[in-house]
Amino acid sequence: MKMRLLYHLVRADFLERVRRYSFLVTLAAAAYLGYCCVTGKVVIRLDQYRGVYNSAWLGCLMALVSTTFLTLIGFYIVKNAVQRDQETRVGQILATTPMTKSFYSVAKTVSNFVVLAAMTGVMALAAVLMQWLKAEDAHVDLWALVSPFLLFALPAMAFMAALAVLFEMLPILRGGAGNVIYFFVWTALLAMPIASLDKGGRPSDATYFTDLTDVVSVMGNMQADLRSIDPEYKNGAALSIGNTVTSQKFLWKGLHLSTAAYLSRAACLLMALAVALVAALFFHRFDPARERGSRRAPAEIVDWANGETAVAALPVQAPVHLTPLVRGAIALSLPRLVLAELKLMLKGHRRWWYAVAGGLFVASVAAPLDAVRGGIAIAVLIWPVLVWSQMGTREARFNMASLIFSSERSLQRQLPAVWIAGVVVAMSTNGGLAFRLLVAGDRSGLLAWLACAFFVPSLALALGIWTGTSKAFEAGYTVLWYVGPVHHVPGLDFLGATPESARPYLFLFLAMALVVAAYLGRRARLAYV
Amino acid sequence: MELVIERVSKQYRGGVWALRDFSLRLRPGVLGLLGPNGAGKTTLMSILATITRATQGSVLWNDTDRARDPDAIRSVLGYLPQDFGVYPNLDALEFLEYLAAVKGLDATTSRRRIEELLNLVNLSDVRKRPLGSYSGGMKQRIGIAQALLNDPQILIVDEPTAGLDPEERVRFRNLLSELSGERVIILSTHIVSDVEATATGIALISGGRLVAHATPEELLRRVEGKVWEAVVPSSELQSAKQRYLISGTARRADGVHIRILSATAPNGAQPLAPTLEDAYLYCLNTHRVGEAG
Repeated sequence: MKMRLLYHLVRADFLERVRRYSFLVTLAAAAYLGYCCVTGKVVIRLDQYRGVYNSAWLGCLMALVSTTFLTLIGFYIVKNAVQRDQETRVGQILATTPMTKSFYSVAKTVSNFVVLAAMTGVMALAAVLMQWLKAEDAHVDLWALVSPFLLFALPAMAFMAALAVLFEMLPILRGGAGNVIYFFVWTALLAMPIASLDKGGRPSDATYFTDLTDVVSVMGNMQADLRSIDPEYKNGAALSIGNTVTSQKFLWKGLHLSTAAYLSRAACLLMALAVALVAALFFHRFDPARERGSRRAPAEIVDWANGETAVAALPVQAPVHLTPLVRGAIALSLPRLVLAELKLMLKGHRRWWYAVAGGLFVASVAAPLDAVRGGIAIAVLIWPVLVWSQMGTREARFNMASLIFSSERSLQRQLPAVWIAGVVVAMSTNGGLAFRLLVAGDRSGLLAWLACAFFVPSLALALGIWTGTSKAFEAGYTVLWYVGPVHHVPGLDFLGATPESARPYLFLFLAMALVVAAYLGRRARLAYV
Repeated sequence: MELVIERVSKQYRGGVWALRDFSLRLRPGVLGLLGPNGAGKTTLMSILATITRATQGSVLWNDTDRARDPDAIRSVLGYLPQDFGVYPNLDALEFLEYLAAVKGLDATTSRRRIEELLNLVNLSDVRKRPLGSYSGGMKQRIGIAQALLNDPQILIVDEPTAGLDPEERVRFRNLLSELSGERVIILSTHIVSDVEATATGIALISGGRLVAHATPEELLRRVEGKVWEAVVPSSELQSAKQRYLISGTARRADGVHIRILSATAPNGAQPLAPTLEDAYLYCLNTHRVGEAG
């Protein structure tokens, strides 16, 4: 009976998901990853070596790409199972059934897992295709090709599926903050085991249990085999994107896994179950009183049956009159709308959010310029991410689109007002850096600052309008911020944290292009402009 | 002041026609738009409110084609959709100030207007409370207030009294009557009594087509002499339902009193004065029979 219920819950959830366009995008993302591997844009490099493209190597390469990248992309894709039940109000119906909280949590985990498994399946197909296209080894060993997916990718996906449910159940991680935090969780999960690879030698048994993405299991095996072929090998091991040139190939015959490695996979599945059960502890069965917004004034919620009549004190037949409006009162003023949008953007955050934003501003005015440029200004850029991520999505999210888009010149007024408000937020939160650059007379630094202030809200607005969700910006921007300003990668450092990595004209151009994209996106959604 | 809907049709993806050759000519007054679920009422309202584009046909406001100049309608439009949201972190005052800015009202005018509207919809006392804590009826009243912000010449309200208590419903009806003298009001509802109380004209819509457009009096005349009351035992109620179009039943000590709509008098039935609900059911049924035939 329980299995039947589980089947139907997962089936309904899966069908609801696959019938949305976003699922096609999901599969397209997986297919693109597969394509990158097939075309040699992503390789496993062991110093100057790579393996001959046989079933064992390709199976492991694709499984590793799945566990590394799909655990990031996939998380954001599936982290909406509970939210959808909330938004569609199906959750309230489910809450009235005898279904337990833990069962619901496990069912949502399984549902997430099915979606992630479908993406993994696309990668497995790409592995088969790649062996045929590369034709370095004509013999297809199906087990060698598929077993890395079964042993590594699927347990990792199960864990991520459960983690996504946990993030949805915990109020603090449910929204945009969770989307940003997850990126750092993912980075930590990836970084921990990789550190052990450089040391050489067989990985310890304990390492397998902390190796969620199976980098150690796969690459450790490959390293060990290469060492026996080439004693000069220096223990380099990387899943490389872009830098894929390798001068030598070696024949790798496949995985030799220890018992600990197998046990770690079983442990991964058990951890997924444990995380799902922990998530159930925070599940409130769609109780409206437990929703975040309702905490503000629980005592003031009034229903008609119990006392709202106190508000409706006027007699029923009291004359109803509305003063006619003078026609000239409608002026379509943009500054007023910008202020209104700004107020909307900044309203509703917790007090500590404003306190930290203020603290960062003060620090960026008071600290030495190098410290501001290299650290504080970078932190300032991530702090308002949830303010910007609402741009372009707020109208749909709060079901306000019909009210706003039926207003006069909404495309020409409301859209620019949102963008200007976003720029104002960027300029004011990072105003300390501008002040310091101005005092120091650093014109190129100021130009980079200006480009940044235009670029970030433009990116938020364009992504919000085109994807319809704040998640794309929250995840994408966090990654970009981490790679660009934090690691000073030229071409991605939109802040210009160092003079070497600054590309202000590029980001000014991108900002303009994104504003145009946002305009076109919004225009396409309006019946009339 | 005239709103002309000329042969408007709307086809959704998948080939479903929500509206077919719909034409109406509206002058100041309240038009009650009545029809069953899925009749096309909300689609028509979305088209008039410039939210969605008609597949065929045109909408003219004072001879200006809406497709050429949608802002000509938007500048004089007040719209209360059936399903709308609010920004839960804003209070009533802030929310209306925001929408006043979106609609282009200047600061002084909007302040005065918002005060007046909050009083009108009885939300003055709770103006500082976040909208997230409002009940469904209170949100509906905020929706009514926002629709009136710009003193619209065209007021489109979709199920406006849903969620309102009886007292507020009466107030809203009075408000519509007060406003109707100088503007075109389109009121879509399932609640015939709302239409009965306010409408100066009624459009019946079914299957995306206009079934009838008449004054309430004309509609009532159509069913004059066609409404009957008969008393049957409970056991015969089912067979009576199969034979006649029944608009109401009431169980009494002497049996079930049934309200029958029929061109000829059923056996033993007494004539009754028709109501708009009778007229609505009769017209829809006649239309369906005609379509089937």
